[in-house]
Amino acid sequence: MTDLTATWAAWLTPSAGLPTVQWSLLLALAAAAGHLVHRYMALPKIVGYSAIGAMAGLAGFSGVAWPLQGPVLFFVELCVSIVLFETGGRIALRWFRHNPMVLLQSVLEAALTYAAVYAALRWFEVRPSVADALALVAMASSPAVLSRVVADVRAAGPVTERALVLTTLGAFYAIALVAARVGMLQREDTHWLQLLQPVGVVLGVSVLAGAGIAVVLRLALRFMNPASENTSILLLATIAAGTALASPLGGSAPLSALLAGLLLKQFHPRPWSWPRQFGTAASLLVMLGFVVVALVAAQQPWDPMLSTTVLALLGARGVAKVGGVLLGNPGSGTSWRQALLTGVALSPMASLGLLLVSQLSAAAIFTGPQIAAIGLPAILVLEGVGAIFATYVLHRARESSEGTVTGGIHA
Amino acid sequence: MPEPAPPDVTPAGDDPNALPVLEPFRASEPLTIGVELELQLVNTHDYDLAPFSDEMLRLMSRIDLPGAVVPEMTSSMIEVSTGVCRSHAQVREELEQLRSALVRSADRLNIAVVGGGTHPFQQWHRQRIYDKPRFRELSELYGYLSKQFTVFGQHVHVGCHDADAALLMLHRMSRYIPHFVALSASSPFVQGQDTQFDSARLNSVAAFPMSGRAPFTLSWDGFRDFFSRSTRTGVVRSMKDFYWDIRPKPEYGTIEIRVFDTPLTASRAAALAGFVQALAAWLLHEQPFVPREEDYMVYTYNRFQACRFGLEAVYVDPVSGRHQPLREHILQTLAVVAPHARDVGASEAIEQLAEATRAGVNDARWLRQKQGAERLLAEVVRQASLRFQQAA
Repeated sequence: MTDLTATWAAWLTPSAGLPTVQWSLLLALAAAAGHLVHRYMALPKIVGYSAIGAMAGLAGFSGVAWPLQGPVLFFVELCVSIVLFETGGRIALRWFRHNPMVLLQSVLEAALTYAAVYAALRWFEVRPSVADALALVAMASSPAVLSRVVADVRAAGPVTERALVLTTLGAFYAIALVAARVGMLQREDTHWLQLLQPVGVVLGVSVLAGAGIAVVLRLALRFMNPASENTSILLLATIAAGTALASPLGGSAPLSALLAGLLLKQFHPRPWSWPRQFGTAASLLVMLGFVVVALVAAQQPWDPMLSTTVLALLGARGVAKVGGVLLGNPGSGTSWRQALLTGVALSPMASLGLLLVSQLSAAAIFTGPQIAAIGLPAILVLEGVGAIFATYVLHRARESSEGTVTGGIHA
Repeated sequence: MPEPAPPDVTPAGDDPNALPVLEPFRASEPLTIGVELELQLVNTHDYDLAPFSDEMLRLMSRIDLPGAVVPEMTSSMIEVSTGVCRSHAQVREELEQLRSALVRSADRLNIAVVGGGTHPFQQWHRQRIYDKPRFRELSELYGYLSKQFTVFGQHVHVGCHDADAALLMLHRMSRYIPHFVALSASSPFVQGQDTQFDSARLNSVAAFPMSGRAPFTLSWDGFRDFFSRSTRTGVVRSMKDFYWDIRPKPEYGTIEIRVFDTPLTASRAAALAGFVQALAAWLLHEQPFVPREEDYMVYTYNRFQACRFGLEAVYVDPVSGRHQPLREHILQTLAVVAPHARDVGASEAIEQLAEATRAGVNDARWLRQKQGAERLLAEVVRQASLRFQQAA
């Protein structure tokens, strides 16, 4: 087998090389699997992507170093950044002025998730620093999975909108807090004022980078049509440049993209039509993200002893997310049923979770393996199962377009 | 006039096989008016239609309001109506209260409310039926037609003393259908395209078998005979099955004019109601002509002209056959009804419409101008939503 691979690698040297062929075939298989599970099993396409990624990982597919680094890290960051840019652009800050309960719902579900996961992991005698790191990661849902599911079932409505906004806000908290946590791990100071410094650096650089991206796009939109293909390419390229620059400068690339989307929405309230134009290029990147998550997570050594701990994390997180959304529901404009469904729709985890676990693993030399050992299986489960939950929830909320289409007689 | 009413069909005894019987016409105070507005609910992201009617109904039910707020066929629309009003000022006041409450509720849900006869780029096949037996039933009956019919209108009720007076008023009013269409037209875009019509909405209505004009009869007995013949065929089960441009509403004691596109502002909607009231006052007090079946010779042509060209249409006089610009005839009509407008308190409405007519401006033209400048229909919807938010 090794000889055969070496032969292939030697033969392919003049072209892009063996890894390119392997990744291309993997993505082709994932695309086919996504289509098949959706067409014949009525499951979300992500389940197909995850399955192929997981199988490749379990089969020992090489090419992804852990913690993430190099081009793979960049692609995962870019994938998360694109999704967060778009979901950040859905957030109208004025909404929180008119309906502060939505913000409260978000804070409650994130805080409860942290507390519940931390408590559950401590119950299983996981050391405090690991429990703390995983509880921070657990705050984040997956905007990528939710956006993909929403697009697949063509969902629209109160549950869809609320879930997307809560997911984005949750991502904001988790990215900022994990970045700060990583910053703290790299310092020896213990004074709280000095501990705040890394938070300030991450937020400050991310805000600056986000503002930079927003300004570039705002200027471009003065003379470019948002529906044009060129605008989409400019948008993707700008986010990619921002992603490449933000991290080395001490910021967070996904956070910068999220803030860029959010700022652009505030200063340029015109409707966003470019996500439709993102087209296949962005879809390919997002799909790559799902495959990488499953591949990396499945490659980790599986420890059956840890499965109970992982299940405890998943259970605590699920209950806390639903509980937090329900707790903040009164006066927020949705029914109890819708709040329950919104809470369940927050269950997916994927590339963002992977990125956060990778960051923590890279920073925490001693506890990194334990963080990954619990965190990665949880993410793998929640990428597929979470997508199924989200799809089910959108159908139950009657917000998916499938099978409910019609028009009206009234005028 | 529009009081909460029982169904407009009275079952004949307990026999389930008995044919429906027409509801007796309830007398109402002449020249009272009531307005219904069908409105679009859109998201604030890409400004496509958004299925939020349940949430809007829930929030609106907590606010003390005149009239009523009810669901419509699809879950991205909502209908509001005033109570029985005696003047244009009262209509404007009530519509303003409803508008303000709608905007507040929409803000809480992060959506927007928009007027207009069509949503410029919504995909009709993606709309969802509101979960109510009658809507489901209609959808099953009309299939593709019902899916094409995600359009938004304004209905104006006029109170009539008795049934015969209502029919007389109905057929007299029919001469002014082009005026109503041109003044309210706000549906130039359908499925992302400029239809070149000012009111494309009425083309959707025309597809229905029971649409168009009401049968010509000036006696309620004659109308009851027509209704009986229709129900005997099984094609019609109640007055609700008629989608005529103007129809009698026996349970309210009104005639209901249904050709208006929903305007982009509450102020324009109130002005149109004021015009109807002033016109009705003129017709009632001066009895200027007796309607005839022959009047309908040019009805469809005039209606088409108004839909297609709006205020730039040609109007054919049904009696003399003379052609003249519709805009000119609207101004003449507004001048003729002006004294009666003073009596019923609709002078301001008449003046507002006269000014717009002289300038050749209706909402369809506004929408086209915005699209010309922005070249993005979603942005046109956003600006229309801002226009709806403005107080009268």
